Amino acid sequence: MTPPLTSRNWAGKTAAGLVLGLALALGVSGLLATLLGVRDSFFSPQGQFTMWTIAPVWCAVLSLCFLFRSGLRAWLWLGLAAAAVWLTLFALGSLS
Amino acid sequence: MKVRTDILRMYKEIHGWVGIVSGLALFIAFFAGAVTMFEEPIQRWASAPTSLSAPVPLERAPELVEAVLAAHPEAARSYDVHLETGPENPARVTWSQGSRRDPEIFLAALAPDGTLEVEKQAASPVAQFIDRLHQQVGLPFAHEVAMPIMGAISLLYFIALVSGVIVLLPSLVADFFAVRVGKNAKRMWLDVHNVLGIVSLPFHIVMALTAVVFAFHDEFYDLQGAAFMDRGAPRAQMAPPPPPNPNGQGPELLTPAKLAQRVESQAPGFTIRAITYHTGREGQPQARLSGHDPRFGLRGPTFGMVEADPVTGALTDTTYMPGLQDAWGATITNFFALHFGSFGGAPIRWSYFLLGLAGAMLFYTGNLLWVESRRKRERKAGAVTQTRATRALGALTVGVPLGCVAGIAVTLAAAKPLGTEATAGIHSAIYYVVFTGFVAWALVRGTARGARELLPAAALALLTIPLASLTFLDLHPWSQPLVDAVSVALAASLTLAARATRRRARNGPRDSVWSHQSHKARADSPPPEAGHAAAPERNPAI
Repeated sequence: MTPPLTSRNWAGKTAAGLVLGLALALGVSGLLATLLGVRDSFFSPQGQFTMWTIAPVWCAVLSLCFLFRSGLRAWLWLGLAAAAVWLTLFALGSLS
Repeated sequence: MKVRTDILRMYKEIHGWVGIVSGLALFIAFFAGAVTMFEEPIQRWASAPTSLSAPVPLERAPELVEAVLAAHPEAARSYDVHLETGPENPARVTWSQGSRRDPEIFLAALAPDGTLEVEKQAASPVAQFIDRLHQQVGLPFAHEVAMPIMGAISLLYFIALVSGVIVLLPSLVADFFAVRVGKNAKRMWLDVHNVLGIVSLPFHIVMALTAVVFAFHDEFYDLQGAAFMDRGAPRAQMAPPPPPNPNGQGPELLTPAKLAQRVESQAPGFTIRAITYHTGREGQPQARLSGHDPRFGLRGPTFGMVEADPVTGALTDTTYMPGLQDAWGATITNFFALHFGSFGGAPIRWSYFLLGLAGAMLFYTGNLLWVESRRKRERKAGAVTQTRATRALGALTVGVPLGCVAGIAVTLAAAKPLGTEATAGIHSAIYYVVFTGFVAWALVRGTARGARELLPAAALALLTIPLASLTFLDLHPWSQPLVDAVSVALAASLTLAARATRRRARNGPRDSVWSHQSHKARADSPPPEAGHAAAPERNPAI
């Protein structure tokens, strides 16, 4: 039986949601940009679209990060997810 | 739908906290945002007629442009020819100088004898002030300081939406649309809060996500640029183009009337409002036509735009052209249009106005519930008088929303007597004097008394708008009755709320924050809590 979730330990989870949520969202927008072949130096509609995807991903992670049992677990899992996304970007040669 | 009880309890607490932290700022954002749905009527209502001669007919625009460029060669960089004119925009030709954020706009007209008249723009800045209030959730700070705070509040707002939905999931079917009007006022407010939240949920999700983007888009672009995009110099791209050829021996341009005609024939349904003649990156002449088309979403709050060749009239860039965008462009435009309500014409504007007011009510009721639950918890824990925090929050819940409503009303009404003297600074000062006055009054007088006194005061403040219309008829010919009518309707609803509040103060449970007798409540004579005790709390919100 796992201990019940509580809102008491919100600080660590929220910090993970804010920092790693943004890292994850930025990485996802990078994957999308790679998929769409956007590397433009001007704001094409596709380029703008990839920017717009940051907000929903970041917001979703931030609102659901409370479901992790502790701040540590939130940092661990979200860190793994962000690392996976950014390593993929690196492997694809998409990083500038 | 079943949700684990610990998750429910956790999100209930989170919902309460993020709601109370962001609720008051969001009230201001939503009320001011609802008002900006009528930005154009308000600007026309508030702008005094100028002493400029009447705009020349569109056919004579080239003559006026020639006179402007001869006397003010700096205008050649970019000038506007307006197809639609009115009190807020009384000139056929205008140009601007100064920064993009703080431009000085000059209006040009031809006197009956054919001489050039130039005047600095004196259109009322009050509508833009209200828009800024909306964008900065009421914060009187510089844009750079206010936007990150607005962004943080938008993030809290999104968390509040998700947590609110999770909390409602188990009882969604049973409670939906069940507004229990009765003795238990808190139960009723909770039901109202839930119905407003669920019915307008898609609207709120759109608002929260777009607000996060509006707050942080510069940072997002910078991060993307640093990480994986060749976005080294987006701002350099926006640098002013080279000055036009001093000899001015460019190719022959189409007249504005002809150009508008050619563009409208390529895009039927698009009504052109203004043409901006400017110089492209390679020094070639370009024209940007802005206009509206209710069949499509618009990129701007009230307009979409298209680039055209001013020599041939061919469309050169349809990225932001309503109806002629590719799927990606239309998708991006829809994100903006969904926030601005800039699609579908008047019915959507009115829906957004009502949804905005409903949103303001959502945050107001949320705050009320929080204050009352806290008061109840404190009572159970043995606190007889309200703690200072509860009292302050109760007072702010009354003072901030009513202060915002009254401040906007009075500063708008002031536009008429101010006339051409009006500046954004004066309107801002008037707003914040009224707003802080209301907040201070509520803090001094307490929640119950404050509400009883400030509700009629806010209703009176709203009535200053039609009063200003009537008083200054000789300066401003009467126009835009819509603005006056909506003010009277809002004043009437505040009067009804004032009556209900008075009744509740007299007859409601004595330990409610709304009761006048709350401070006198004694531990040895527990107040009658008939309303609260009789109805079982099946689903306390917070």
